[in-house]
Amino acid sequence: MESVWVDLLVAVIKILVILGIALGLGAYLTWVERKVAAHIQRRPGPMVVGWHGLLQPIADGLKLITKEDLFPRYGNRFLYNLALVMALVPATLVFAVIPFGPEFEVFGYRVKPILTDVNVGILLVFGLGSLAVYAIALAGWASNSKYPLIGSMRKAGIIISYEVAITFAVMGPLILAGTLSTYQIVQNQIEQNLWYIWVQPVAFVVYMFSLLAETGRVPFDIQEAEAELVTGFTVEYGGMKFGLFPLVEWYIEVLTLSAIAVVLFLGGWSPLNIPFVGFVDPLFFLGPLSPYAWFLLKVTALFLFILWLHWTLPRYRIDQITEIAWKIMLPLALLNIVITSLIAPFIWD
Amino acid sequence: MVKRMVMKPLTWIERILFIDFIRGLSVTIRHAFSKTITTHYPYEKLTPPKRFRGFFGHKVVDGNEPQPAFDEWVERFNIQVEYGRSRCVVCLLCKKACPVPQLFEIEGRKLENGKRVVSVFNMNLMLCTFCGFCVDACPVDCLFQSDIHETASYTRRDSILDLETLEKIGRDWQMRREHEPDRIWIDDDQREKLWYENSVRLPEPKVKGRHEW
Repeated sequence: MESVWVDLLVAVIKILVILGIALGLGAYLTWVERKVAAHIQRRPGPMVVGWHGLLQPIADGLKLITKEDLFPRYGNRFLYNLALVMALVPATLVFAVIPFGPEFEVFGYRVKPILTDVNVGILLVFGLGSLAVYAIALAGWASNSKYPLIGSMRKAGIIISYEVAITFAVMGPLILAGTLSTYQIVQNQIEQNLWYIWVQPVAFVVYMFSLLAETGRVPFDIQEAEAELVTGFTVEYGGMKFGLFPLVEWYIEVLTLSAIAVVLFLGGWSPLNIPFVGFVDPLFFLGPLSPYAWFLLKVTALFLFILWLHWTLPRYRIDQITEIAWKIMLPLALLNIVITSLIAPFIWD
Repeated sequence: MVKRMVMKPLTWIERILFIDFIRGLSVTIRHAFSKTITTHYPYEKLTPPKRFRGFFGHKVVDGNEPQPAFDEWVERFNIQVEYGRSRCVVCLLCKKACPVPQLFEIEGRKLENGKRVVSVFNMNLMLCTFCGFCVDACPVDCLFQSDIHETASYTRRDSILDLETLEKIGRDWQMRREHEPDRIWIDDDQREKLWYENSVRLPEPKVKGRHEW
């Protein structure tokens, strides 16, 4: 009986920590993005509120919360509000299956730094990822306005195209790992002494493209397309409701998908891997904190790389985007699965 | 004759290795780590170039009037010239040149000794487009545009410049910038870093106290 209470306590602590990290970090990533974008354009970015604008997200949040809540005439209020929930909840739920580090012991209890080690973790991630399309379709429909509708249609088209590509792209690492559990995938990479990116570069590229497309990042930000659609499906939202959509799409989703990419391709919390040599840990001096540092470092690097791409590339046309998905990315991913199945027995040894 | 431009298609190597992406990324990363080029506006302010078209002003009589134009106009309209006051000769050429003439309100007054002087000169800048035609039209180099560009005001009344204000701006200008050589950008460290042309020194014009007309 006692162990149930302890399990519950541990779960609640994990949930609080993960929610705190996800939402707090999500807000602060707006600051990071603005700084990166500014420096790429040779501006300093926010400088006034706090040291180098460090308090800017708080000021923005206060401003968004105190704004008037507008609702479009003849819109559907229930779906309008439901879209927000549908956007936020699946995106944050993905954090439940992200492993932050190896198992450790506290007061005799073995604790995994992952909320639920579901044995179909990756399936859950992509199931929840597909739910994002409902949020956007509902937001566009309930707003009763043409720009949101066009934006949401575009986004739905992109997500449906890239869901297929991304699912086939992650097949490669899954075949090599032989499991769907995120925790076990990392364990297998450590046991096999190999980051899967070294044998799955094609899958990684396809995954990155799909990541950009699903999160609406440049060069696939066609659903937003400021120049054509104002801001796409968020046009009719105001105040914090408006702030929530980019927060979810640009930060929480990018963060979760980067973390999944790290888990699948970059060996999760494992230190630097060199093929045929094994793991080298330049951060050994951190002791038991080193795995967490590695995980954080990899996710940060991937996130910054995505920001860097965002502020470099121009935008593709909608037909080019779907063409890339169906004509290039999907065949590449399928080919990758075939090759992976051929080389997999050598990796399993 | 139309020149046909052919864009070279990407080679297969370039497509597979994302060479064009990498080129773009290298450009942005270089910019990201170089110094920013902005000024932090409310805390730092750039001095606009001398030819900047900002708020209007009236230059005052100080002995540097364009000659012989000034004396001719003074004689024609029988103007009372007073040292330190506006050079305006009430010719209304500025109003004539203006695309929105109703923004000018100009009146002259006849003094006891039979000479004339400008008494009212209002410019309603709510209507102004800052095109500078009036400045070109002014025959005595009286009306001019200064470098004052922070023109926001709390009331509509504040955006109307009267004769007093115009003269104040003019005196201020003549004290600060009248003798500055006429170049696009003044010697500004930040601008010099931006455009290499600024390191080319222009020959200093000889200021004789008179404009060439």
